Amino acid sequence: MVTNTKEVKGKDICVQRVSPEEKRELAYKDDVCVGCGICAKICPTEAIELGEIGAIERTGVDESKISIDEAKCVLCGMCSSACPVDALDLKLDEKSIKDMAEYPQLIKSAEISDDLCIYCKACETACPRDAITIARILPERSKLVTGEIEIDKDTCISCGICEEMCPADAIEMEHHEPTSSDPTVSSDITVNKDKCVYCLICRKSCPVDAIKAVCRSCSYGDYDLNPEDSETTGSSFIDEEACVNCGWCQEICPVDAATVEKAFEGELILNQEKCEACGACVDICPCNVLSFPEEEFGVQGDKLQADERFCIYCGACENVCPVEAIEVKRTAVKHTPTKSKSWEKQLSELKT
Amino acid sequence: MPKHIVSGLKYLTAVELIREGLSQKEVAKILEMDRSTVSHYLNGRNLSWNSIEVAEIITKFCPKDFLTLTYALLNDSEKTRVIVKTCSKKSYEASVEESCIGCGLCVDTCLLNAIVLDDLKARIDSDWCNGCNMCRDVCPTDSIKILEVNNGY
Repeated sequence: MVTNTKEVKGKDICVQRVSPEEKRELAYKDDVCVGCGICAKICPTEAIELGEIGAIERTGVDESKISIDEAKCVLCGMCSSACPVDALDLKLDEKSIKDMAEYPQLIKSAEISDDLCIYCKACETACPRDAITIARILPERSKLVTGEIEIDKDTCISCGICEEMCPADAIEMEHHEPTSSDPTVSSDITVNKDKCVYCLICRKSCPVDAIKAVCRSCSYGDYDLNPEDSETTGSSFIDEEACVNCGWCQEICPVDAATVEKAFEGELILNQEKCEACGACVDICPCNVLSFPEEEFGVQGDKLQADERFCIYCGACENVCPVEAIEVKRTAVKHTPTKSKSWEKQLSELKT
Repeated sequence: MPKHIVSGLKYLTAVELIREGLSQKEVAKILEMDRSTVSHYLNGRNLSWNSIEVAEIITKFCPKDFLTLTYALLNDSEKTRVIVKTCSKKSYEASVEESCIGCGLCVDTCLLNAIVLDDLKARIDSDWCNGCNMCRDVCPTDSIKILEVNNGY
């Protein structure tokens, strides 16, 4: 008789069934789970139960957001296919069903086009899951200005004013105590031309007019600058495990380089009269959809507000609300086709 | 004792296979025995008639008991398949309903390896089914139906 075994590692859970035919393994990652409870809804054997996610989220208690009853679980993989954040993964002989065409997959994606991205990092800052990393290489400053600078060392009195004033730290003096053999306060003064931006502050502030400098960019415009030298280059990376396809990157991107496709369509309905402003929904929402905007400067408001552009209709807020002030309606569940009638039915029943 | 019962089962299978027209050589290959042992069996030598009687009783058990007992005695999937299918006198028709979720529990349970998954749905090869009903018993969605078919016996 084949039976399941369960292994719990910290908050992560692994249920296994090994037979001579194949090895089935369902792995749950708690740090990825957002507490939406879709796995519990779709499970055909009622093996998954959603925990008290509000309390878990707010107290940080050492407990998984879901529990899996290994005696009931048949390792069919529906939870894995329906999980909107890929916190559950069923593997058959070490191969994820997310890579198998016969298993339906939620249609969701987030992409940043490297052709369009200008590496402004707005998405990296906005991403509520810290899933985006923008690595950028800035242009070389010295290539963006040209000019000339010369210090007449005979006229220079080594006062150090230019050194102190230089905003680019391009001027360096070699200060020393005067001695009878060398009765000066500095033995040399140099300008680092890689750092100098030809702002001319040194020339203007020199009390003895020892500095001659000109900024060619100012005098002649940009004619001798190579446009390629002014480009910021880089690369973008989305951590697929952390990404929940909320759409923040897409909405905030100034050049439309980010595209997000969401698996669910729906409606988020707030009942302001029922809401008691406990804030549990704000804490649990993986997408920073919900907030209590300040009523006036410095005063926290108590009117719940939602920006549905970022909602993935996962329903975690509805699960956590103690007074049923939130309703999440799912009107569409987009997934790749499946020949299985039962899978089709279970997936379509996620609609509310 | 278990060895004797296995001999009895192999004897019954050998007799049946010969009756079906197989040569002694083929029977020896299928049952993984020496050809001479098959010959001895068929001539009623090297075998206690008591073992055959016990084996005969076992083949008349309900399909599930026959199958599980044979598997327990042989601990070999292939030989279990041959003996059980050869000595079973009944045919079955197995069908899987659309409510199947493709969990594969039946595949893992079937001792006759008669079930495969096809596009998230179990497919049962009725030719290999011996009607033990173990797949039906483990099915979480009650999707398997197994009917006995009258084949003229």
